Amino acid sequence: MADIIALDDVQDAGILIKKILTKQGHTVHDFTEEEDAVNFVKNNPVDLAILDIKLKKMSGIEVLAQLKKIIPDLKAIMLTGYPTVETAREAISLGANEYCVKPIDRDELEEKVAKVLGASK
Amino acid sequence: MANQTVLNKEQQYLKVFQEVTKLISMVLDPQQVMDLVVSRLPELLDVDAATIRLLDSSTNTFVLGAAHGLSDEYLSRSAIDTHDSMQMIMNGQPVAKTALQKNQLEQITAEAVREGIKGVLSLPIIFQGHIIGVMRLLTREERVFNSQEISFSMALAEQIGMALSNGRLFKEMENQVDFLTGLREISKVVNSTLNLDEILKTIVDMLPRIMGMKACTIRLLQPETNELELVAASGLSAEYLKRGRIKKENSIFKALKGEAVAIFDAESDPRVVYHDVIRREGIKSILAVPIKVGREIIGVLRLLTTDYHCFSNSEVTFATTVAEEGGNAIENARTYQKINLLFNQIEENERFLQNILDSLWTQLVVMDTRKHVVMVNKRFLEQQGLDENEVLGQTYHFCTIPMADQGAGCLADKVLTSGERVTSIDTLTHDGKEQWLERSLSPIVDDAGNVEFVIEAVRDITASRQLEEEKLARVKLEGVLEMAGTAAHELNTPLFAALGTAQLMWDDLQQGEMREDMDLIIRNLQTISSLTRKMTTMTGFESKDYVGETKIIELR
Repeated sequence: MADIIALDDVQDAGILIKKILTKQGHTVHDFTEEEDAVNFVKNNPVDLAILDIKLKKMSGIEVLAQLKKIIPDLKAIMLTGYPTVETAREAISLGANEYCVKPIDRDELEEKVAKVLGASK
Repeated sequence: MANQTVLNKEQQYLKVFQEVTKLISMVLDPQQVMDLVVSRLPELLDVDAATIRLLDSSTNTFVLGAAHGLSDEYLSRSAIDTHDSMQMIMNGQPVAKTALQKNQLEQITAEAVREGIKGVLSLPIIFQGHIIGVMRLLTREERVFNSQEISFSMALAEQIGMALSNGRLFKEMENQVDFLTGLREISKVVNSTLNLDEILKTIVDMLPRIMGMKACTIRLLQPETNELELVAASGLSAEYLKRGRIKKENSIFKALKGEAVAIFDAESDPRVVYHDVIRREGIKSILAVPIKVGREIIGVLRLLTTDYHCFSNSEVTFATTVAEEGGNAIENARTYQKINLLFNQIEENERFLQNILDSLWTQLVVMDTRKHVVMVNKRFLEQQGLDENEVLGQTYHFCTIPMADQGAGCLADKVLTSGERVTSIDTLTHDGKEQWLERSLSPIVDDAGNVEFVIEAVRDITASRQLEEEKLARVKLEGVLEMAGTAAHELNTPLFAALGTAQLMWDDLQQGEMREDMDLIIRNLQTISSLTRKMTTMTGFESKDYVGETKIIELR
């Protein structure tokens, strides 16, 4: 099972991701503030980051860049409610493993997480 | 016995006098008089040679008129006699010189010695108290002219003077009649054309023919450089004409000052240059007269002869008159040329402007204050399917470019009354398609500020209007897309939370009615989810009427 962080400016979204993935047996830490998530990653082992692209102060892409500096082989799934070619291209170039469009289905989320974590094994 | 001798001598003189009188009454031409006298007088007066020289009043020198019994070398000597002798002659006194062989110190005498002359009697030829020439009788034997012989010779010289003057007078009168005819002929031709070359050619061809001379040249001052330029010539070789610049010749200088210059001996006269070329060309005498237009001198006309010629007053007057007549014709032709040039330039400019107007994509109509069309461009004619002749002079209403509200005439009136530019944009329907026309009417005002003409310019702006409309629609679409994207984005996260939570709750619910209700919630959340997805991927929309003025859009 994996250590996962979920960062979304809408707290309910983070809670939902936590609920779904906890049921799968993962340890999930949800955040609404970018700094909190980055600081957590600095001090704790994390396998996967699920990041919303639209955050409060920064974009999910910028946060991903910072997290990758801390844990270069960190897995990442980007979530967005407004997909654009530019954000998708940038996320992939920074090493995001998946790019999902909200509202993502529960099954789809579980499937994507399993796929991303499975690829590292 | 002595009386008998005197009587015989007097009878002899009478005979000679009668003979000379008879001779000189036979001819009227002064040259013929002189030739006849010098050829017959030596025999009659028992001398070996005779010369007649005429006074050239322009230079106050004696020029050879006729000679008999003397070599060319002797005749072409620089001075005729000593200064004192010439002075006496000029004072009307005869000068007799004998025993010239004994006084070889004098240059004059030396030339006489080389010719074998031993005695000379120089007699002034007087007419009405004025010296008009000198007659010289020369002997190669020692000969002393006695007072009787001298008196008799003086009487003869006087008779010759009279004959010469009469001949000159007759010649002058004859010349004047000829010149009058000639002037009429030349005037007729030069005034019948405005072709400058033709005028110049007529003068240089006709004038020497009428005056019995070899050649004629015309040089005109070029306005740009103020330099004389040879513009026409007749009777002269290319070598002579190309002999070099003659700007500094005294004869030219004087002619340009307005004086006529008559040169008897062109081969040596310092008032002309290039004597060698003149000699080779066989030119003996030259007359240069100014070509005038009013008080302005525009050039120089020169007449050239192949025989020594003493130009008479009537000849000088005639040449001057022809030069003046020619001057006027030349000036007229030049003015005509200038006008023609200007006219051509104006035509060229007009063509250039017309080309510009015709190349414009805008239809142009120019109307006068009565709203009559005075000019249209090619674009207008093509667009309206009209011929220029159908349009020009017509009233503006007849041929105006169509207007949606037929108000173009009113616009023209506005411009005519206000003097201000007026613009309007019209929409016409043409074959079911909309056509946009931008119309601009501008005044052309005179110096006093009054409107003289109105220019109407009509431009088809349909394409640009369509482009504008397309741009507007694109901007609108972009706005809608942004709005839809933003709305979708804002909805998606709470929707994600709601849908996910509903799905988790569905797992926790037991079988039964509650689970069916949760299915309904999940199904509807999924419908909203499909809609937000559609909102983020939409590429266009279609406005549709809803209720009243309200419209809704349908996503594509």
